[in-house]
Amino acid sequence: MKYKIVLIAALMVLLASGCNKIDERFKDSLAANSGSAVTAADLLLNIYRNDMRALQNQDNLWAIQEHTTDECVGPTRGGDWDDNGIWRVLHAHTWDANHNYVRGAFENLGRIVYNATQVLSLSPTPQQEAEAKFLRAFANFFLIEGWDQAPYREPGGDPLAVPQVRKGADGMSYIISELEAALPNLPNGPTYNANKNACRALLMKCYLTKGVIANRNAPTFDAADMAKVISLANDITGRTLTSNFYDNFAPTNNTISTENIFTGENLGGSSSGGVRSRYFCSLHYNNNPSGWNGFTTLGDFYDKFEAADKRRGDSYTGVTNVSGLRVGLLLGQQYNQSGGALQDRKGNPLSFTKAVKAVETDPNTLEVTGIRVVKYPPDYNNGDNVDNDFVIFRYADILLMQAEAYLRNSPANANAARDLVNAVRARSGASALGSVTLDQVLDERGRELYWEGWRRQDLIRFGKFLNPDELRTTASPESRLLFPLPAQQLAANPNLTQNPGY
Amino acid sequence: MVLTTQFECRISAKPKKRMLMSMKRLLQVICFPLLLCMAVPSFAQDRVVTGKVTDSKDGTPVVGASVQPKGSSTGTSTGSDGSFRLTVPSGINTIVVSSVEFETMEVDITGKSAVDVSLKSTAGGLSEVVVIGYGTARKSDLTGAVASVKPKDFNQGIQIAPDQLIQGKVAGVQVINNSGQPGGATTFKIRGNTSLRIGNQPLFVIDGVIVDGTNARPGVNASGVGATPDANPLNFINPNDIASIDVLKDASATAIYGSRGANGVVIVTTKKGQSGLPRLELNSSVGISKIMKKIDIMDASMYKQELAEYGLTAGDYGANTDAYDAILQEAFTTNTSVAVSGGNENARYRLSGSHLDQEGILKGTGLKKLTANFNSSMKLLNNRRLGLDFNLVTSQTKEKIGAISTDAGFTGNVISTALQFNPTRALRKPDGSINNYFDGSTVNPLELVEGYNDRATTTTILGSISPSYKITDDLEYKLTYGFNYGTGIRRTSLRNWVNLENVGISTSHPNGRGWANVANNELLTQQVTQTLSYNKRLSSDLNMNALLGYEYYRKEFKGTNLTGRDFGAYQLDYTDYLQFGSNDTKRFSSFRNPLQEIRSYFARFGFDYRGKYLLTATFRADGSSKFGSNNRYGYFPSFAAAWNINKEDFFHSTVINMLKLRAGWGITGNQEFPSGASLAKYNFNENNGGLSENQLPNKDLQWQQDIQANIGLDFALWNNRVTGTVDYFNRTTKKLLFPSISPQPSPGTTIWINLDGQIENKGFEVTLNGNVIRTNDWNWDLGVNATFVKNKVSGLPAPIQTGALHGQGMSGTLSQLIANDHPINVFYTRDYRGIDPQTGQAIYVDDGNVFYFMGNPNPTTILGINTSVSYKKLTLSANMNGAFGHVIYNNTANSVLPIGNLGTRNLSSNLFKNGESLTNPITSSSRYLEKGNYLKMANATISYNVGRIGNNISNLNVFVTGQNLFVLTNYSGFDPEVNTDKQVNGIPSVGIDYIGYPSARTFLLGVNISF
Repeated sequence: MKYKIVLIAALMVLLASGCNKIDERFKDSLAANSGSAVTAADLLLNIYRNDMRALQNQDNLWAIQEHTTDECVGPTRGGDWDDNGIWRVLHAHTWDANHNYVRGAFENLGRIVYNATQVLSLSPTPQQEAEAKFLRAFANFFLIEGWDQAPYREPGGDPLAVPQVRKGADGMSYIISELEAALPNLPNGPTYNANKNACRALLMKCYLTKGVIANRNAPTFDAADMAKVISLANDITGRTLTSNFYDNFAPTNNTISTENIFTGENLGGSSSGGVRSRYFCSLHYNNNPSGWNGFTTLGDFYDKFEAADKRRGDSYTGVTNVSGLRVGLLLGQQYNQSGGALQDRKGNPLSFTKAVKAVETDPNTLEVTGIRVVKYPPDYNNGDNVDNDFVIFRYADILLMQAEAYLRNSPANANAARDLVNAVRARSGASALGSVTLDQVLDERGRELYWEGWRRQDLIRFGKFLNPDELRTTASPESRLLFPLPAQQLAANPNLTQNPGY
Repeated sequence: MVLTTQFECRISAKPKKRMLMSMKRLLQVICFPLLLCMAVPSFAQDRVVTGKVTDSKDGTPVVGASVQPKGSSTGTSTGSDGSFRLTVPSGINTIVVSSVEFETMEVDITGKSAVDVSLKSTAGGLSEVVVIGYGTARKSDLTGAVASVKPKDFNQGIQIAPDQLIQGKVAGVQVINNSGQPGGATTFKIRGNTSLRIGNQPLFVIDGVIVDGTNARPGVNASGVGATPDANPLNFINPNDIASIDVLKDASATAIYGSRGANGVVIVTTKKGQSGLPRLELNSSVGISKIMKKIDIMDASMYKQELAEYGLTAGDYGANTDAYDAILQEAFTTNTSVAVSGGNENARYRLSGSHLDQEGILKGTGLKKLTANFNSSMKLLNNRRLGLDFNLVTSQTKEKIGAISTDAGFTGNVISTALQFNPTRALRKPDGSINNYFDGSTVNPLELVEGYNDRATTTTILGSISPSYKITDDLEYKLTYGFNYGTGIRRTSLRNWVNLENVGISTSHPNGRGWANVANNELLTQQVTQTLSYNKRLSSDLNMNALLGYEYYRKEFKGTNLTGRDFGAYQLDYTDYLQFGSNDTKRFSSFRNPLQEIRSYFARFGFDYRGKYLLTATFRADGSSKFGSNNRYGYFPSFAAAWNINKEDFFHSTVINMLKLRAGWGITGNQEFPSGASLAKYNFNENNGGLSENQLPNKDLQWQQDIQANIGLDFALWNNRVTGTVDYFNRTTKKLLFPSISPQPSPGTTIWINLDGQIENKGFEVTLNGNVIRTNDWNWDLGVNATFVKNKVSGLPAPIQTGALHGQGMSGTLSQLIANDHPINVFYTRDYRGIDPQTGQAIYVDDGNVFYFMGNPNPTTILGINTSVSYKKLTLSANMNGAFGHVIYNNTANSVLPIGNLGTRNLSSNLFKNGESLTNPITSSSRYLEKGNYLKMANATISYNVGRIGNNISNLNVFVTGQNLFVLTNYSGFDPEVNTDKQVNGIPSVGIDYIGYPSARTFLLGVNISF
């Protein structure tokens, strides 16, 4: 009997001990262990194709940079666009630490920082290292400017460790040093890749923003920093203003724009970010393309334009002749391609109004209030994967930043500043200005760069962000100059501290 | 053929014996397994006793009862008419007659050659055998909380999956049909809600094979339609093949399943052949289904009045349409199953097949299911010590799935397009074609009924082979190899005229585009279990049993997906010529999950002192490839004791027949998190777009821990006419597995961690069964079970948001929190205080800027009522279930039927002339929280047992069943029994209702025949 028990016991042990390792092995993906095939190039491409593209959407970073300003509002239209008040609180400056787009933006930027840091731990070439550093600095710039805090990890660090945090002026100095280190090894192009001109453009933004970081409520600007901005602008090579303003945003902008410096590449028909939301969010259902009838600009902002200014409105070949849709700002009656007047869904004329409210309450004008914005000429050929590359830096911005730096640096530069502003204006048929003040530069930046995601930073830099506007009748508290650290991030990382007022 | 042979064996005279035996040898070669199961006649010189075994209650034959000479290991079992013929060795004067669900009887046969035996049903089921982990136990020996449900107590009607059979039957168990979709998934919770993430169903074990909750049916996210809800992964079983469903509830029962036992274990045992003549059973039914309850929407005349009320001139198109007609149908179901079983004491078999064809009440939907099942059980060798069990369950389901997704906006769901369809618009143009493209964003429901084509075929094979060897009389070794193989093929398309973006007609695509998707998944789980069991009477008072085991489990899952657009205007199914689609819209992808392996060692020891004091201890160690490298093995102990008070000498009661106190404690685990969560994993982006890391790795990741204590009391009163069980449980779930927010910088938003904090579920379960009336003609049984459970979350570092709401104006809206000192998934939203009569706008506390805790979605009381009344051969049985104390968020009323629809789309009749402004925004608030209390007449059956007919039909039973006969509730949606999947990043929601498949009311007419 005993031998049987021994036999069975031996059998069990034998079967039990077969192949003792129960480690996971990936079949459809790669692991990060030693000898892994993951390369720096793979991760860099992922940053361009995924992480940077996430910035094109109407939510997250774009939402918090634009809906908080005088050039954009997302009104609640009865059944539409309430979205739990997420847009409304942005324009009302009453967001809190649980705001999903404040959190989403912080996470998008954090992902770029993480993935760029990973590139550095995978033996990158000098150019790959420079690209990673540029992309990481790009994300860190928004974090320091918006939150004053930028968490970071060291390449190859323990993934379970709590990230350290860079703050304020130290953070900005770090970004500038990283960019200066990256500059020599960056390529000259293409624009959808990290490149020398893009690095210079970001450095200009950094030097202009240094004074904001030091004192957000009353920024001061160091003359040496302004001189840096001016010289960096002069270093930018091979870029000129594109003769048609809208060509910079057209489906084929990667070939016809001479002005774009840094873009998010979209491959028409196959893979794109969400840049089409720029016009889908604004256009009415009965426009072509049929939009989502949401965002508008405000009447006061519209009134900053001269009538002849093509940036206020224009026809565009490939759009207006196809669908009747104009580009720029849309006010009043809308037409189809054969000149027929469009109607809204209730049969009223589709005629956009200047007046707009945060919450629309009149059923008769519910669908038509607010001036619509079509800066990117719609791509009718590629469905939801549009071809329009997403514009981040372009030459007009460089010229206006240079003009601003001239004015901030010394009154003696007033004429140089005026000529730069006028060059930008002339391209769109706006009249030449005799002289320019800083306020006029801010207005010009609005007219030129509206809905491109810079307005919040500009208003803060020019000390106007907290001012009331058409829809927000009282001045906002100083705490609104910074975003709150997302509550979830605060809980996950004790090294972060909540910004005052949240 | 076998039947005939056997028949001849029994009546043959001896001279024919040789010839028959040689014929048998020949047949053995031809059909070995069936012949193995054949009755071998006995030729001993001992005397023969014949007789018949009947049920004392109604005199019906007891089929398959075991009849043995006392003290002998041989024996026979009763045939289909309850008769037996037993050879009794000389000197034995007692036979033992036993059968499941009956009290065992010893019958004196001194001087008798024929006896009739009348067996008493075990109302209390004390001698009932209950399936426990890796074994069985008599109910009286149980120390843990285990409930066993037998076929006679199953829910009647169209039941696709086994979990539906026991809805409302077991205290502590809540089963929710998530929607009315044929074959749709259920939410199955044992003893409260501990889910911080999806995939938290109990562990299902089918004939010893652990069934992974994965369904091989591929998911699909159709263009503009969204993600359709899951199918039930247990659809492959034929309910007629199930012999019992045993639910292990407390940790002392489930800890033997270690890191997968925390949500409870449900053991499904299929029917096996019983010795005796081959039995043929035939069950057949036909049914008709209609929608149970409609959501009240405006009809054309009401809509016109409402337009006038608001002074709207547009919006009346003159027709009078009921859009429900466009999408609903009277649906027919046919269901047939056949089983043949038989064998002798050394070899038994059962073979069965079934066919179900169920139409859905939504046009164009339905489910067809084919199953075949074969099992056999043999005792081999001269000493009969070698056992061999074999089991094979095969199934194919073919589903036609409707355009009903859990996350559509307002255009892509066939139900919402019907609810919203302007009742003054015609569904069809005068020429009969679908009236569509009348405004930019409205979809005619007919477009989705006729233009959405979604077919899924799921094939499942579950098999096991299990040799065992009795080394000594006390010691048995058993090896089980089991596998579950499934493939799912899904072909989905949208026609080029469906008015969804990038599907239908647009400026750039004047002929429309069309969309198609083909997906295949393949699942294989395998398992090797070895056990050594030892049963020893240590002394006359002390009995010991022990079990040692080792188990290895592995799971592989892989799949592919192909999609494209632009298939022209050909009248063919796009999925049949995918290559024609435009190249730049074609996408294909594939995946193969990491091999998941679990290696386990387990043991159980039980002591029984004079049947009075029972002790059980179990232990399991689980190593899982999913756990982080720093925590590869988890350890799960349990202890339990029971005291049969009625067996004490001091216990004297004429009222109380049985009184038993149980107490148990144990630790179980849960490892339902995705493979690869502990490691850094780089996924391949499409179109050579680099590699993306999806989340931070966590080498410390481990199982979630569930600590449960249980105290229970079982009792039987008045000659077992009233039996009952009361259990108190206290469950604390710790080390919560959770996709937590990862601190930035991070590749993804979440990291899988074992979160600090705990979820507590404590409560009572009460089960009472009474035999209220028992006379010769009348019998009335009544059973009630109730569960009272309190749920509380504590110790979380930060609240967790979930409960996504969908629809126009609700992007990014979340409605639930998992927060300290509140029930899990508590609703957290605006506090609605009515409509302002001046402005017509909604009034919210603090203008809606502040959110409040507004209600608990988890029922605090779950109720099941089962009753059966019979008069002679006529029986009425009914099963009701209900849930109380919770609220449901009516997302459908919120975003599909709001006031702002007036003039373009339809709205809820509840809004008729309510003074609300057309511009009142769609927003989430307590306005849409409704009390979820309900009591449902889930099914009721009237059956007439005709009994024996002629020589061939041993029993005939005809029945009529009604399902979902009525539901008592104030809830305004289709059905208060609802749980739309509104998870956020894998964190599940509870109690949100969003345009799901409506529930059906069904009437079935059927017949059961045994030959």
